[in-house]
Amino acid sequence: MSEQRPDPDALLAAAMREGRGRLKIFLGAAPGVGKTWKMLAEAQRFRRAGIDVLAGVIETHGREETRAQADGLPVLPMRPVAYRGRMLEEFDLDAALTKRPSLLLIDELAHDNAPGSRHAKRWEDVLALVSAGLTVWTTLNVQHLESLNDDIARITGVRVSETVPDRVLDRADEIELIDLSPADLRARLQEGKIYRPDNAARALDGYFREGNLAALREIALRRTASHVDDAVRGWMRDHRVAGPWPVAERVLALVGPGAAGEAVIREARRIADALHAPLLALHVERPAKPAGERPPLALATLLGAEVEVRSGNDLVGVVLSFAAARNVTRIVIGRRVRAGLVQRLRRRNLALALLRRAGPYALVVVADSPAPHPKGVAKPAFRPDAVRWTALTWAGATALVAAVTLAGLWWNLLAEQETIGMVFLAVVVSAATLRGLALALYTAMIGFLAWDFFFIPPVHQITISDAHDAVALLVFLLVAGLTGWLGGKVRAEATAGQARIESLRRIGTFSRRLGVPATEPELLAEIVRQAAAIAERAVLLVVPDQPGDSEPEMRAAEPAGARLDQASLAAARWSARHQVETGRGTVTLPSAAWRFLPMRTRAVPAEGKAGPGGTKGGTVQASMAVLGVQPPHDDAPALQALETLVDQAAIALERVRLTGVAARSAAMEDTQKLRTALLNSLGHDLRTPLTGIRGAAETLRESWEGLSPEVRIDLLSSIEEDTGRMTRFLANIMDLTRLESGQIVPRLAPVELGGVIEAAIARVPGAAYATVALPPEPQGRTAQADAILLEQVLVNVLDNAAHYAPRWSHIALRVARLGGGAGGDEIRIDVADEGVGVPEADLPHLFDSFFRGTRGDRTRPGTGLGLAIARGLVEAMDGRISAISPRPDVPRDAAPGMMVSIHLKPAA
Amino acid sequence: MSAATGQRVLVIDDEPQIHRFLGPALEAAGYAVERADTARDGLRLAAARAPDVVLLDLGLPDLDGQEALVTLRSFSSVPVIVLSARDRDAEKIAALDHGADDYVEKPFSVGELMARIRAALRHARTRDSVPEQFSAGRLSVDLATRQIALAGEPIALSPREFALLEILVRNAGRVLTHRQLLIAVWGPAHGDDVQYLRVYIGHLRQKLGTDASLIATEPGIGYRLLTAE
Repeated sequence: MSEQRPDPDALLAAAMREGRGRLKIFLGAAPGVGKTWKMLAEAQRFRRAGIDVLAGVIETHGREETRAQADGLPVLPMRPVAYRGRMLEEFDLDAALTKRPSLLLIDELAHDNAPGSRHAKRWEDVLALVSAGLTVWTTLNVQHLESLNDDIARITGVRVSETVPDRVLDRADEIELIDLSPADLRARLQEGKIYRPDNAARALDGYFREGNLAALREIALRRTASHVDDAVRGWMRDHRVAGPWPVAERVLALVGPGAAGEAVIREARRIADALHAPLLALHVERPAKPAGERPPLALATLLGAEVEVRSGNDLVGVVLSFAAARNVTRIVIGRRVRAGLVQRLRRRNLALALLRRAGPYALVVVADSPAPHPKGVAKPAFRPDAVRWTALTWAGATALVAAVTLAGLWWNLLAEQETIGMVFLAVVVSAATLRGLALALYTAMIGFLAWDFFFIPPVHQITISDAHDAVALLVFLLVAGLTGWLGGKVRAEATAGQARIESLRRIGTFSRRLGVPATEPELLAEIVRQAAAIAERAVLLVVPDQPGDSEPEMRAAEPAGARLDQASLAAARWSARHQVETGRGTVTLPSAAWRFLPMRTRAVPAEGKAGPGGTKGGTVQASMAVLGVQPPHDDAPALQALETLVDQAAIALERVRLTGVAARSAAMEDTQKLRTALLNSLGHDLRTPLTGIRGAAETLRESWEGLSPEVRIDLLSSIEEDTGRMTRFLANIMDLTRLESGQIVPRLAPVELGGVIEAAIARVPGAAYATVALPPEPQGRTAQADAILLEQVLVNVLDNAAHYAPRWSHIALRVARLGGGAGGDEIRIDVADEGVGVPEADLPHLFDSFFRGTRGDRTRPGTGLGLAIARGLVEAMDGRISAISPRPDVPRDAAPGMMVSIHLKPAA
Repeated sequence: MSAATGQRVLVIDDEPQIHRFLGPALEAAGYAVERADTARDGLRLAAARAPDVVLLDLGLPDLDGQEALVTLRSFSSVPVIVLSARDRDAEKIAALDHGADDYVEKPFSVGELMARIRAALRHARTRDSVPEQFSAGRLSVDLATRQIALAGEPIALSPREFALLEILVRNAGRVLTHRQLLIAVWGPAHGDDVQYLRVYIGHLRQKLGTDASLIATEPGIGYRLLTAE
């Protein structure tokens, strides 16, 4: 399949380059070729040109030339890090991100950061900086490249522990090779320009041997050349130059556990590089087998492979179906040299089976070099409960065989000894089905012995005299072994199938459950509950307040009470901002106690493309939340399930948030309406008194002479009244604001209503013709209220009644105590007027702020606030207020009027 | 301030404060004042007392101001000045289209109101006698001979420009809405084509030269030809 179009991966890579800064790597074959010196020299040139250059890290290694070259460059202070009682100095990533220089110099790309730093490796710091849009120059020796690690160790005899994944080099926008012939380099070494003389002598015989240097130089030249080739091809793609595209190769590394797996990955990387092919890494888990040594999947990720984990018992089938689905052309597998006989057989079988069924694939078998076993690799954990359980089964099987033997001895009188054999066979098959092959073989063995010893002549001896019996015994052993093996296999596959069904069921349940919660806190709680059930681990959710810069906060945990230490919080923050997995088991902040999975809702490349601001590219948003799992779950299917769940949870979270946004915008719309009403009301209620004041003042000034003294006084007092009106309006607005912000706290006490009503009537000029009807008994007119607030309520209601009723019309107040009933005991104050009434449609809005009836400006002037304030005050006193129009007792031929009722609690 | 000799002004407004100062102010200026608090009262008084000018507040509690205006116009051609709020342009335009002669915005200046009342009264006096002669500033117009002169120099107008100037002259001092002008000059089909009007007003102003400000723009409402006061 030849490519006639730009490769989507290349387009994606180009798109990712858009939002980020440029990375330039000064590549050298060996220490001392002058990488740092060259980088500084060029940086000085930039600085003199007025560019904002900042030296993040410069390692002079005590070399005088280099130190001189760094003179005058602004230097970023290093960050002190305390580690095991020593003070180390590390590059200050956060300071660099804050300063944002135009050009940042970071020496020694392969450096390992001190434990507790944000990233374990300096190259991760550099990638983060480039992602954040900074242009970074850095230096690297070729021996630090991960894929060359084995080769170079073989050439030089020195294994380098500080490595840099090849993809970092691939991501560089520019590579400058600092080339120095081996002879020149050795000359420099001899002159003491690289190391101090005593060290230099040793180096000349060791690492800096002519042959070593020549080999390293060739490797460096090749890598640079292949990068140049990449750049050319990238340019051709970008500019749609049709060319002889190579056949699209895809390399699949089949990753087994341990060092063999590592060798396979490295070899596959080299093959993929040589072919310019993408690299896939596949690990196949066998559900029937307990998890042993872990496959080096992290290394595969580091080497830029796309890692996939599948499970199934038919290894070859799984590999081939995956290879077919992904258009793989080459498969790299390992061969374990020191493995036992069975394993070696199986491996060879795998290679052979792949070859037999491989069809179009090229197969590469890698012999693994017997590398020393790295320290600290986790051995299968000792699990007391598992041991107890296993011991019980084996004891049970033994007991069963003993029981059958006893029964057989009793039965021997009745049955043939062959029948006993059949019964033993049944025991073996059931053991196989229940507990697998090992137990089956064990049961077959002891069953065979018991049968031979107790039943086959000569009885009570292991020996067999009859050839006929020997054949029977052999057949028994064979059949038992075979059925046991088959039964165990069936059982294993059934278990695996059940596990898959269980996982599907859980995912189904999860998405169903997530559909239910309507609010964010409920949803977050549900997510952790479900995730904890699936991972069978403690789980928590960390949510950044706003996508981007704000501090993340722990919002939900299962079990409750989980705590986040500083390192974990930093990992969570990083995960949220950069949309990558962080924490334990990852490459970022692996010292954290938790592992964090970002919840993202849009398709975002796995490598953090967003800068700290999160919006550099414009399309990327930071994670909505981060899911923390503890302790890190290396059980791949569960982790994969969790990742699926995280995606679903993100969608659910986005749904809930969008619902929230919709509700808020509806509320905003209401606020907007209220604001319009407020403006209208302000317009009218300020304009009317202003007109009065202006008119009266102008009349007084213009026509002073022509006006009688009484008229002059009337005009002056009208000015006073209008000023009072505006003051009241202002006071009303203030009252309402205070009410709505909860600043008014009523002091409830028994209040005799007669006095309050009288006081209120006295304060409303238009209510002079009000009549009051009070019940005779004191408990009928004593309510639980705040006397001052209640007086204000009544003033507002009376004012409204006077406003909308004809001048000097009658206002009727009546107090009544309504006992029992569904509404409970209450005291009601009715205020009925003889005004024009209110249309039924307007009644529900009567107590809303700034509501002025549908007649708008044509209504009599009022604030539109009085009744709203009345309601606020009444509700603050645990009462309620209502209105009906026309009033229930409307006299014949009279205006419909309106009745406002204030419902209060009676005094206790 | 010229003394009005007992001409009757009917004030229809539901705001007692307005009556409180308008009454004395109008009386001081020599008018007889009739006061109404509702539209119904106002219409009754307008019919019974035949006032010379009516001041009408559009925000009345019992009847829509526009309805009141239409009813009033059905039996009387008395000049009507609308008292309205600044932010209610649509209401003012509707009132003018329904036959109001002018408007003032609340809070209004008493002096300005008096000037509007005088203009309305003057217009009403001359409406029946059809003034064929008009002059303001340096502009003189003779509608009968279609002679137009600026400082004595005759100026030439196109027929449309003349038609536009004619209706402005006949309603000098009054505000005319865009719609009224458009219907009078271009016909009912063009009631909404405000851009025609802008173009022709522009032409007229150009030809009036330094006296262009005689044609005053009422933003969002229409135009008014200023009289020499």
